[in-house]
Amino acid sequence: MKVSLQWLNQYIDVSDFFNQPQVLADKITQAGLEVEDLEDPAKNLANVIVGQVKELASHPNADKLTLCQVDIGEGTLRQIVCGAKNHRQGDKVAVAIPGAVLPGDFAIKKSQIRGVDSLGMMCSEVELGLSNESAGIMILPKEAQVGTSFAEYMGLNDIIFELKVTPNRADCLSHLGLARELSALLDRPLKFPETTLKTTDKTSSSLVKLELKNSEWCPRYAGRAIFGVKVGPSPVWLKQSLEKIGLNSINNIVDVTNYVMMELGQPLHAFDATFISESKIIIDNSIKGEKFTTLDGTEIELSGDELTIRDGEKAVALAGIVGGKNSGVNEETKDIFLESAYFTAATVRKTSRRLGIQTDSCYRFSRGTDPDGVVEAMNRACHLIQQVAGGQVAKDFWDEYPLPIKKEPILVEHSYLEERLGYAVDFFDFAKWMSRLSCKVEEDSVASQCWVSAPMYRWDLWSDIDLVEEYGRLHGYDKIPEKLPSLSYEPLSEDKEYTHQKQWNQKLCEEGFLQAVNYNFVSKDFEIQLLGNEADEKTTGLVTIAEAVKISNPISEDYNVMRRRVFTGLFKNLVYNYRHGSEYGRLFETGHVFYSSGEEYKQNMHLGLCAWGQKNQLWQKEKSRPVVYDVKTAIENLLESLHIPSWQWREFPQGKVPTYLHPYQTTVLFLEGRMVGYMGSLHPSLLDDNKIRTGAAMAELDMQKIMRGQPRVPQAKAISKFPAVTRDFSFVMSSEAKVSDRIQKMKKISGSLLQKVEVFDEFTGGQLKEGERSVSFRLTFQDMDGTLNEQRLAQLQKEMLS
Amino acid sequence: MTYICLMLVEKANQIYEEAKAAIKSAPDSKTLYNVKVNFLGKQGQLSALMREMVQLPKEERPEFGKLVNEKKQNLENHYESREQELKKLELQQLIENEKLDLTLPGPDRDLGKIHPIAKVIDDISSILNFLGYSVQTGPLIEKDWFNFEALNIPQDHPARDEQDTFYIDETHVLRTHTSPVQIHTMLKQSPPFRAIAPGPVFRCDSDVSHSPNFHQIEALLIDKNVSMADLKGTIAFFVREFFGPEIKTRFRPSFFPFTEPSAEVDCSCPICKGKGCRMCKNSGWIEIGGSGLVNPKVLEQANIDPKEWQGFAFGFGIERMAIIKYGVPDIRLFSDNDIRFLSQF
Repeated sequence: MKVSLQWLNQYIDVSDFFNQPQVLADKITQAGLEVEDLEDPAKNLANVIVGQVKELASHPNADKLTLCQVDIGEGTLRQIVCGAKNHRQGDKVAVAIPGAVLPGDFAIKKSQIRGVDSLGMMCSEVELGLSNESAGIMILPKEAQVGTSFAEYMGLNDIIFELKVTPNRADCLSHLGLARELSALLDRPLKFPETTLKTTDKTSSSLVKLELKNSEWCPRYAGRAIFGVKVGPSPVWLKQSLEKIGLNSINNIVDVTNYVMMELGQPLHAFDATFISESKIIIDNSIKGEKFTTLDGTEIELSGDELTIRDGEKAVALAGIVGGKNSGVNEETKDIFLESAYFTAATVRKTSRRLGIQTDSCYRFSRGTDPDGVVEAMNRACHLIQQVAGGQVAKDFWDEYPLPIKKEPILVEHSYLEERLGYAVDFFDFAKWMSRLSCKVEEDSVASQCWVSAPMYRWDLWSDIDLVEEYGRLHGYDKIPEKLPSLSYEPLSEDKEYTHQKQWNQKLCEEGFLQAVNYNFVSKDFEIQLLGNEADEKTTGLVTIAEAVKISNPISEDYNVMRRRVFTGLFKNLVYNYRHGSEYGRLFETGHVFYSSGEEYKQNMHLGLCAWGQKNQLWQKEKSRPVVYDVKTAIENLLESLHIPSWQWREFPQGKVPTYLHPYQTTVLFLEGRMVGYMGSLHPSLLDDNKIRTGAAMAELDMQKIMRGQPRVPQAKAISKFPAVTRDFSFVMSSEAKVSDRIQKMKKISGSLLQKVEVFDEFTGGQLKEGERSVSFRLTFQDMDGTLNEQRLAQLQKEMLS
Repeated sequence: MTYICLMLVEKANQIYEEAKAAIKSAPDSKTLYNVKVNFLGKQGQLSALMREMVQLPKEERPEFGKLVNEKKQNLENHYESREQELKKLELQQLIENEKLDLTLPGPDRDLGKIHPIAKVIDDISSILNFLGYSVQTGPLIEKDWFNFEALNIPQDHPARDEQDTFYIDETHVLRTHTSPVQIHTMLKQSPPFRAIAPGPVFRCDSDVSHSPNFHQIEALLIDKNVSMADLKGTIAFFVREFFGPEIKTRFRPSFFPFTEPSAEVDCSCPICKGKGCRMCKNSGWIEIGGSGLVNPKVLEQANIDPKEWQGFAFGFGIERMAIIKYGVPDIRLFSDNDIRFLSQF
């Protein structure tokens, strides 16, 4: 909300802050109403003066320019060259003289234009920063006084605060509301605005009869008739007051209702009585299916669940939100019925949300207005209407308030106050602050507790804890000391998901992978395009659902479903990095994937790995192996560090390989007979489509499944004291046969004697036949109980080779 | 002395001088060894001379043998000292030949890095760990009741406007804050306890300084006689541990539906130490999070009696903490996962 300091000064003396507005802003912020911005509307208007064009001639050397002699009250005329065409002799204009620095750091200097001196500039609204567009220079009304400062003429010598009012402080959504807060804070008196009226003999009921049918949604409804108003433009003060805080001037009647809303926080509405059929105002629900056109011309259909203001035949306003086009004030309007009501916050909010209409009025109602201030605001508006539009105010007014709202006094115990704030409180000081907030305080005779009745407009004050906060913030949060609560009980154990994730992150860093953190949502189309017909849980070990969980109001189509695979994000990262020149990368992510199961939504923690490119190393002797082996090593080292005793890499069951993977470079991971994830090289055509000119591989694993049974605590074994023996074996194998099967066989033969198996060579070609390869293994044998004898070794060797 | 004896003595002297010269001039240990074999070995010249001793009369033999042995011993001494000398020289030579340019890079092994978001979460968690807080988690697709209702944000509450919510269906949202974990924990644990909830949160808002998928961490304490002073002391301790011992903490009144009293938390700017800079917009203070005593209405929702138990909660935006601590210039860097960015942490 925008607040004008000059306006505020009408209700509380803050003139001592005009020269130091930041000091006031800090005080307000420290009390809980954040001043987000301070704006000085006259900042760029120094040396801009109201002038009059006395003479107008063509520029001697340029057809498109004019040469003006301008009076700015200096006694002599100033010669100014001007490029605009819209000014005539005698026009009042805004003149920036040398020394002025207009918005956008535009400094005005004495200059020569096509050989003619120019001693300033006649400004357009754009140049003055008053508008985003303008045709030609700004022509001021005839009344403008030559020689006065332009800022003063425009009423811009002011400071505008941009106030962030938290939802609980609806009472501060007006100038008087803020003045009230400052009155408590600064301990200064509050001046209420003038409400005196000259009334006629006519009654309000002679104009309209009132019927309050739904007093649950509208507990109080007041209205007053004003006869014979003259609708027209608002006087300058009114217009400027509204424009400074960002409201447009419409006409004098509407402007007064807006002014009073910004002054007192009570939204008002003026009906043109001629359009009120049967002279009846009824406050009741809408009729299902009826059409209603708002003041700005939007047609909406009502559901029967909105509160409306109606006449004998139709809805004339959506209660608290917006008036109808059928009954608003126009230039012909003579008699008006001015509404001032209290609609409940929930009613207004519900309707405004359903219809998607946001107005200053519904903003205030939906946060809670003051039912006790209804009549005062109405009379204040009548007073101002009489002042700016003439007319006669009815001698009485309607005020339907069948069940007045009451707030119960709050019992506050001294000890409670001290316990919650954590410091000793002087209870009299507490009572003093409550009184400053216009609360009634009744002290208990013992004075260890008191009863506090908060004013109606303080919707945030209901219980003792609310008053603890009030005292705390007014007395100053800086008075709260710093203590550490003592721990006298056993802490909870940490959530496993978090500790596991942390452990995995650490392990993968040790494997040289960088951690990525992607959004949990992805583009549905992108994911489908990438994952294709993702194989199901039976073939990948990971839960897969045909449809990703949809977000019903996504921020964009790029993020419209919850991810089903962590890999989706990692693949995007691969493409991004490769395009940005990183031809080599190792990324991992531990994060959630989502699926629905019946009515429930579930999440699983996955590990995704993505690796691409080869490093050119100075020390590298052999040619590098496909990158998928790097991924494999990282996973195996992770499993090893978790002390998982055994795992196997197997083929995709039924050969159902995901389409984005290389069909002959994929494998699924089995852990104690359960499938827990998969790994593979990315399909060459996927890489090609994305212009990735290097090998790439991925893996995705289910963390929950792998972490079942964790932590596994390693059990230390004795180390053999006897010498180890190594033997090398080379086998000619078919390229279909698996190395893992061969290793398995060798392990089975040698039992506990075999300490280590290393593969040190793979060879094809040469003497070997097509479809054959030679694989060389180095086996390390060692016995716990003695030195291995040649016989035993020869025996093993024979069995290996059979 | 017999003539023959004179001849042999003469020969011994000659061999001796020759061997001595050869030892002295041997350029390397291999040549030296050959000299040894030639003169002192079993088949060497001195051994051959000894064998010629049979030509001497018996009475001259001991004298001559003694002489030759003395020469032999002498030569062996020469040999040993020369051998030492040469070994030293050769080692020196060898060391000199092994000169390395250690400015050459070593084998390039990749260094993995924790993402700054996870790093900040881990740092904050471990500070709060030793105050007795432990990490708890909750679902990211959250029931409306946990995300709003239980936290004193009913359906038509204006505070819902402040959080642009992603909806999954009528009753499920993407959690807009980590606060629903408070409710899960309160329902699961009986008081007293201390918990922290880090993780992703979602708001339907995206611009230069807002990401629709960002991270928060939030701490909750439920105990007896909990005060604002306990809250302030805990946060002040945390701030000093996280940003440095000289960093101060300040409370500003604010409003959160689930706490009462509520306070925004500012800390003195860790960049300029409170002098004023771009990060703190020259105010010397930086807003880092929100806090307050748990609203009694929230305790009631979670079946905890507010007359007996109270609590406090505070929370921070992880990205914001990372921006302040590591000076990250653009929020998009957190989600781009550019390896040139990730390798910096």
